[in-house]
Amino acid sequence: MHNHRGKTIVITMIASSLALSGCNSSGGKKDADNAGTNGGVKTAGFPIVQDPIKLKMFTRTAPVNGPFADMPVFKDYEKMSNIQIEWTEAPTDGFAEKKNLMFASNELPDALYRSGLTPMEAVRYGSAGQLIPLEKLIDTYAPNLKKLMDTYPEIRTGITTPEGHIYAIPGIVTVNAARTDKRWINQAWLKKLNLQIPETTDELYEVLKAFREKDPTGSGKNDVIPMTARGGLAIVNQMAGSFGLDFQLGYNINLENDKVNIWMGSDRNKELLMYLNKLYSEKLLDQELFTQKEAQYLAKQGSGKTGFFFDQTNNPMLDTKVNDQYVGISPVKGPHGDRLQSNAAPVARDFGAFAITSENKYPEATMRWIDYFYSDEGSTLLRFGRQGENYELKDGIPYYTDAFLASGNQAKITPYAGGGAPHLISEKVASFINPPQVQEAQKKLDPFMPKVKYAAPMFDEQTAQKINTLRNDIDKYYDEQSTKFIVGALSFDKWGEFQSTLKKMKLDELQQLYQTTYDSLKKQK
Amino acid sequence: MKSTVNAPGVAPRPKSRRSSLMKAIGRRYDLYLMLLIPIVWYVVFQYGPMYGLQIAFKNFNPAKGILDSKWVGFEHFQRFFESYYFWRLLWNTVSINLFSLLFAFPIPIFLALLVNEIRNKAFSKMVQNITYIPHFISVVAMVGMLLLFLSPRGGPLNTLIQAFGGQPVRFLDLPGWFKTIFISSNIWQNMGWQSIIYIAALSGVNPQLYEAAKMDGASRLRRIWHVSLPGILPVIVILLILDVGHFMNVGFEKILLMQNNLNMESSDVISTFVYTTGILKGEFSYTAAIGMFNSVVNLMLLVLVNRFARKKAETSLW
Repeated sequence: MHNHRGKTIVITMIASSLALSGCNSSGGKKDADNAGTNGGVKTAGFPIVQDPIKLKMFTRTAPVNGPFADMPVFKDYEKMSNIQIEWTEAPTDGFAEKKNLMFASNELPDALYRSGLTPMEAVRYGSAGQLIPLEKLIDTYAPNLKKLMDTYPEIRTGITTPEGHIYAIPGIVTVNAARTDKRWINQAWLKKLNLQIPETTDELYEVLKAFREKDPTGSGKNDVIPMTARGGLAIVNQMAGSFGLDFQLGYNINLENDKVNIWMGSDRNKELLMYLNKLYSEKLLDQELFTQKEAQYLAKQGSGKTGFFFDQTNNPMLDTKVNDQYVGISPVKGPHGDRLQSNAAPVARDFGAFAITSENKYPEATMRWIDYFYSDEGSTLLRFGRQGENYELKDGIPYYTDAFLASGNQAKITPYAGGGAPHLISEKVASFINPPQVQEAQKKLDPFMPKVKYAAPMFDEQTAQKINTLRNDIDKYYDEQSTKFIVGALSFDKWGEFQSTLKKMKLDELQQLYQTTYDSLKKQK
Repeated sequence: MKSTVNAPGVAPRPKSRRSSLMKAIGRRYDLYLMLLIPIVWYVVFQYGPMYGLQIAFKNFNPAKGILDSKWVGFEHFQRFFESYYFWRLLWNTVSINLFSLLFAFPIPIFLALLVNEIRNKAFSKMVQNITYIPHFISVVAMVGMLLLFLSPRGGPLNTLIQAFGGQPVRFLDLPGWFKTIFISSNIWQNMGWQSIIYIAALSGVNPQLYEAAKMDGASRLRRIWHVSLPGILPVIVILLILDVGHFMNVGFEKILLMQNNLNMESSDVISTFVYTTGILKGEFSYTAAIGMFNSVVNLMLLVLVNRFARKKAETSLW
């Protein structure tokens, strides 16, 4: 009797341990029958594959988007390409967390869509072998993307690692207007208070002051926000150009005669922060600047109670019909005569928008699948949906139909809304984001755009790791202290301490690393 | 029980001990089977993951897996100890918890003593309910409430300050206020819940002791001091030790939600730092090292407090 029971226990234990170990061994292994699948992939024409295949993609969805599977672009494209996509959606909040945990646990989808990989991540996961190199695939299976990369060579240099690999492909923007934030000022208020469009930082200060004190809304209450910007330190990026500060190599860097200069501890930056501090302490700058979320900021744009703010399009103003109140202006001239629209994105605007993982059994088909969106035709499908139902052509340019816009579903049907989708934004598909008002605002910025704009470079793995370590400390410190300087929680007497701490955190070494990378970039050309 | 099994032991010692153990297990196999469940749970979910701790000493490469990643020794620990943020993180983590222990720990005891002294049953039940209901508010809602109440633009507290002629205070932007807000809102939310155990312990105190004290002419305060408190002292000590058990990692979500660049100086703690650098920036090995350091400190604290409690109060976990 006892003996029998003992056996039962042992068997139960073995069984349960087997079941448990079974969980571990399932992940990770690649299928052996990998070869020969690319035989069915055509290099041109549709469908991409004869026999339908299925791909798993991980994507980010913005609050404004509907489910990806219901978007007309993906429904129609599935029929066209014979490739079915199974989406795993993660909301923008918490996306970075999900993405990194996915890589850490090595449970990868076939591809990452709209993934916003940073150059650091691309190098890290690429050299780890989790992302596959794409340069050869692009040559054969991505004619549209290849053409763009030949027309704009800076795309290629911006996404290729020093070893010559491309681990992620970017969203590409050939419309200037989609690479800048316009400077929208409330012209209705200017007119009412009999003010000129500000041309210098001092004039801007006076205008904002008037906005605040002279009750431009006529409500009798003090309820206007003279100036606001995206939550956090975006305001620094917007105003930096007036103090001669540029953003080269994707960082706080000025390039002077081929010398990399990280300007965080410079006197110019001190002047900038002091200027912002003046605006903030006199309540000319939004007091919620450092706590507001994106939705709050967009709502303020549409409220009509904001004097001066920054955004790429006029879209947030359209719903509430306050767009006529606003006009785009040029960057203001600073105390040293600087007038630079330094906050401009490179042509390869959204780095790391798409990547293929080592789990993917059909990399060739996947590359062809994504390449379509780098053509005007594919981008039209992605951005505008179905002809007739969602858009109509006027002189060959797609426009949303009025009926569809009235339905309020514009952002639901396209993955571009919310930013970062892997596709081409050309003049041809920009009717909605680049209407005349935005074009006018962009014209005000054009003369002040920097001549060359170096995107964040790709580092080799070792340099990437070093820069990562240094920047983790430095960036955190810089963000915190800048915020405090602006708000006035830290007096400018402490500037010397701020500089010496930056030095202690090895800012010089960081500058040297960027210099070396810049030099080798120069040599490549 | 045991003696009856062992009584007729004639065989050589070692063998009999073993076989008798097997026999004991066989006889009570159902109990052991039930024991198996928690053991498996511990092995799989508590001890199993510890095998991954080795990435603190490696450069973890997810594609190669934990075992095949390269060893780097104490590099990550060194980086953390030399980091600009090390002392700040350590101080914030320790001080937030220390102040919590100092202020938040005794309050449920006071509350329980108070409730225990209330004669009117209905009233005492009402007090209990009112104080423990906030416990069920989720962290996110709680922080949302804090943001609303403390908002410099129209928050009730600032409206009150302005009504008395003061200037609005940006509570959540001031590092000096952070710990106070964090701990006092914790007290408000949890004191009722934590007092339940003490109230239960108090009801177990022998009523004859109170009567005897009364006969001796002890006042109410005297009775609390000499009867109630000693009666629940063992419970207090055990709960104190348990609290120290998670000394280094309380309130991660709440702190993260309350954090901003302006109060970072006093709100940056080890657990949120691990989240922002480790998970959001993908530095798995570095933050595994930080997490491990955190746990080791915590374990040492626990052992110390336990030893102290055993000596002084003669109560301890082990």
